Amino acid sequence: MRRLRISSPGLRRGGYDLPKSKPICWGVRKEGRTLWTRNAVKGKSVRGERRKRDGRIEWRRWDPTKSKVAAALLRTSLEPSSILPSPGSTCLYLGASSGGTVSHIHDFVCGADNHHGGQIVAVEISPRMSRDLISLSEYRPGMVPVLGDARKSRVIAPFIRSKADWIHQDLSIADQAETFVKMAMNFLIPGGVGLLSLKAASERSSEGDDKARFHNAEIILEDSELSLLERIELRGLEEQHVLFVCELSLCGDN
Amino acid sequence: MRIHYDWRLARVVDDEGNIVDELEWDGPITPTNLSKRLKIIQGGRNLPEVSTLSERFPDAIIDEMGALSDPDWPEIGDLERVFQKATLELAKMGVADSSGDLDRRLDMLVSAAQELRSSWTTSEARCVEWSGLFITEANLDSQRNDIPVAISSSRTISEASEKLGVNPPKHLPSDLEWSSMFSHANTVTRSSEILDQIENAIREIANMHAPSLSALLGPISAAKLISLAGGRERLARMPSGSLQVLGAHAAMSAHRKGAPPPKHGAVLFSMPQVSRSPRWVRGKIARYLAGKASIAVRVDHFEGERWDESKIEEINSEIEAIKDKFPRPPKRRV
Repeated sequence: MRRLRISSPGLRRGGYDLPKSKPICWGVRKEGRTLWTRNAVKGKSVRGERRKRDGRIEWRRWDPTKSKVAAALLRTSLEPSSILPSPGSTCLYLGASSGGTVSHIHDFVCGADNHHGGQIVAVEISPRMSRDLISLSEYRPGMVPVLGDARKSRVIAPFIRSKADWIHQDLSIADQAETFVKMAMNFLIPGGVGLLSLKAASERSSEGDDKARFHNAEIILEDSELSLLERIELRGLEEQHVLFVCELSLCGDN
Repeated sequence: MRIHYDWRLARVVDDEGNIVDELEWDGPITPTNLSKRLKIIQGGRNLPEVSTLSERFPDAIIDEMGALSDPDWPEIGDLERVFQKATLELAKMGVADSSGDLDRRLDMLVSAAQELRSSWTTSEARCVEWSGLFITEANLDSQRNDIPVAISSSRTISEASEKLGVNPPKHLPSDLEWSSMFSHANTVTRSSEILDQIENAIREIANMHAPSLSALLGPISAAKLISLAGGRERLARMPSGSLQVLGAHAAMSAHRKGAPPPKHGAVLFSMPQVSRSPRWVRGKIARYLAGKASIAVRVDHFEGERWDESKIEEINSEIEAIKDKFPRPPKRRV
């Protein structure tokens, strides 16, 4: 019964071909206003999201109202693939929570049985959330769950195989921008991309209203050695959030 | 010179990037062994290989980032699977450890008590009103506590009114209605039993986890403060001014928009020293008590000497002194 309902939207759209869909990069497609990733674990949804079959490939819906990375993909004015990690790369995800977004990143960075040879280190401090993250990692090789404080480099360094090509930070703490700059300088490879999801409500109230808080963060990023590529407003998909896209330039001190 | 390392290998590298010395871990590579080693690194301690190299080359700096800054570090290769398993084991160990965290356990108890209490007040009020509809002669104020007990221990409503010492009702509820009323009263009495049980557990754990703070404010209030602050450590690191207004979220956010600051939060106000004092000294006493509570929780957290009765009495007499100093309300400014 459940299976039937899940597979039906794909069939209704014509089943084997997806006329309106556009590939963003390997394993990621955009279809109208929805995003899909190529499911690395066929037949399983992570949080009850829709799946649909397309021949031998199964696609899993990536909900932009639940994932800030997906929201940013829809809103960005850059080439969408430039803000995503490429298959086989090394990624660091700070504040992985129960792993919803991480699972989609895993879909195209590692793929089924990690045939791309990617690595995603997912750091989460809450044992409650880590539980879900761990059970997710069990059938997704290439995904490394780390229970610990995402602000401490020492906690993360033993787990990541090399400097990261892509970092996303999504923490509910004060001083998100400072933390992000510190972690990106420590872990990002020159030429790597860093995304910072800034939650206004987590910053100190003494810093002024939401606008002022976003502005402060922007200044911190601009003053750092990272280059700020874009500021993406997520309003409508994720309230009180702005996502900053940064890059560590190739001629850095590394 | 620097020492680069990860869980399987440690290396001394000179400033030109040449390998000076190298030690490889030769233990059996199992997920469990590996996770133990990862835990050592994560905890900020040195692996045996790193220590040995550090003894051999005392002026070599141990790299905080392990091996990440080493461009020539060997690839992990076939060990990837074992490594992945080890990380899973380590994370699971971490999750299992969280049940040893008294902060979390206390928080569960405090939250459970709070939720149960709020549902109990609603049900208890309904139970009294419901019974009062039938048993019209019962006094709903003086006999309030006896009503749920009487209903839940009787087989008919007449028996219940007999227990309450009044005449039986004029109109009797139907059988199904009575059994609903009876079961409902049962949940009320049962809830208050569970509440007692939970509060006893809170007392036990709070006395263990924060003995000085519990001695000063009572274990229940101490537990509430810890749960509101999000842990004993956070409470200990909190300025006493923040501790003073814990539980006054609405008043604090109003204060940020210009309203006068709250004198005390819900927890401190529940202390008789504050709530039974005249209005004009409550703020002063709350400030004093918050200062002392903040010291008490620091004593508990940073393993100081536990406060005894005489210390508490000293504080209470100080509070009396504040009251005596301000016997009259301040004159109103015109």
